Amino acid sequence: MKFFTILGVTFYVVIISLIGILAILFSAHILPVQDVNILLEQLYNDGSSRLIIGLVSALLILLGFSFAQLILGKMQKERTIAFNSPTGRVTVALSAVEDLIRRMCSSIPEVKELRPYVIAGKRGIEIDLKVILRSEINIPELTTRLQDLVKNRLQDLLGVDEQIIVRIHIAKIVSTEEKDKKGKKEFEKTPTIPFSGF
Amino acid sequence: MIKEESLSGFDSVKINSRAIASIAYLAATEIEGVKSTAKDYRYILLEILGAKNQTGIRVKFDKNNDVKIKISLIVKYGYSIPDVATKVQENVYKALEKMAGINVKDIDINVRGVER
Repeated sequence: MKFFTILGVTFYVVIISLIGILAILFSAHILPVQDVNILLEQLYNDGSSRLIIGLVSALLILLGFSFAQLILGKMQKERTIAFNSPTGRVTVALSAVEDLIRRMCSSIPEVKELRPYVIAGKRGIEIDLKVILRSEINIPELTTRLQDLVKNRLQDLLGVDEQIIVRIHIAKIVSTEEKDKKGKKEFEKTPTIPFSGF
Repeated sequence: MIKEESLSGFDSVKINSRAIASIAYLAATEIEGVKSTAKDYRYILLEILGAKNQTGIRVKFDKNNDVKIKISLIVKYGYSIPDVATKVQENVYKALEKMAGINVKDIDINVRGVER
């Protein structure tokens, strides 16, 4: 861990712990409210104290952003497919692969919604597809088509030789009839002008 | 913070890392299949604060003054990602060699998204 990271983590822990201790003392009535009022008033009126509080707050905001980046960066590092080329390393974020699958499947009219989740492991690339389908379709035929499409297109676009496993989980089937009925009902419900016949 | 490091390519010529990043950016975005470069929150924050020409490309110099470049990309849908990445690496390498006389040690590509 880098020196500044350790320093930042220590600072953050100290500040958060102090706030926590103060809150506990306050809730246990150990810290009298009058003293808190006096302290706050003093801090509010004193120029240098206000400056220090402002600077510490700005530092805390910056630290918050840095930690977010650190954590998200690590998460991103873990979720990538990587391969080497003569001029360097190429990493593809798994979220990009998920984007790719989403766009691939948007062309299939029978699929209403699709949520992909990609895992890259020792077994190869594992893809979990959570789908919402429209009714009046042949599920085995469609799922096979979907699996083939995802496998073939990914192999073409990513150029990976590893095994691609596509698992499909049908979460819901949306009836098209229900939609039509709803549409009809809505049509029937459309307000008419009273006594318009007279 | 983003370091401003310079490399002595010739007797008295120093090339700023921003200039290297700009050359790399232009070379990367002219490849067919590249939608744009992807920026992380630091570059977006710098842009909000008024900094211009934030390309989202990281240029690093190691102890031996070797240049390492990290490019985050958004690739257009329908293009082969390895092909696009390799073309970007080759084009950036050529452009930096031609325009700045720099031999880049590594050009790392990180594909962060796919868009139409």
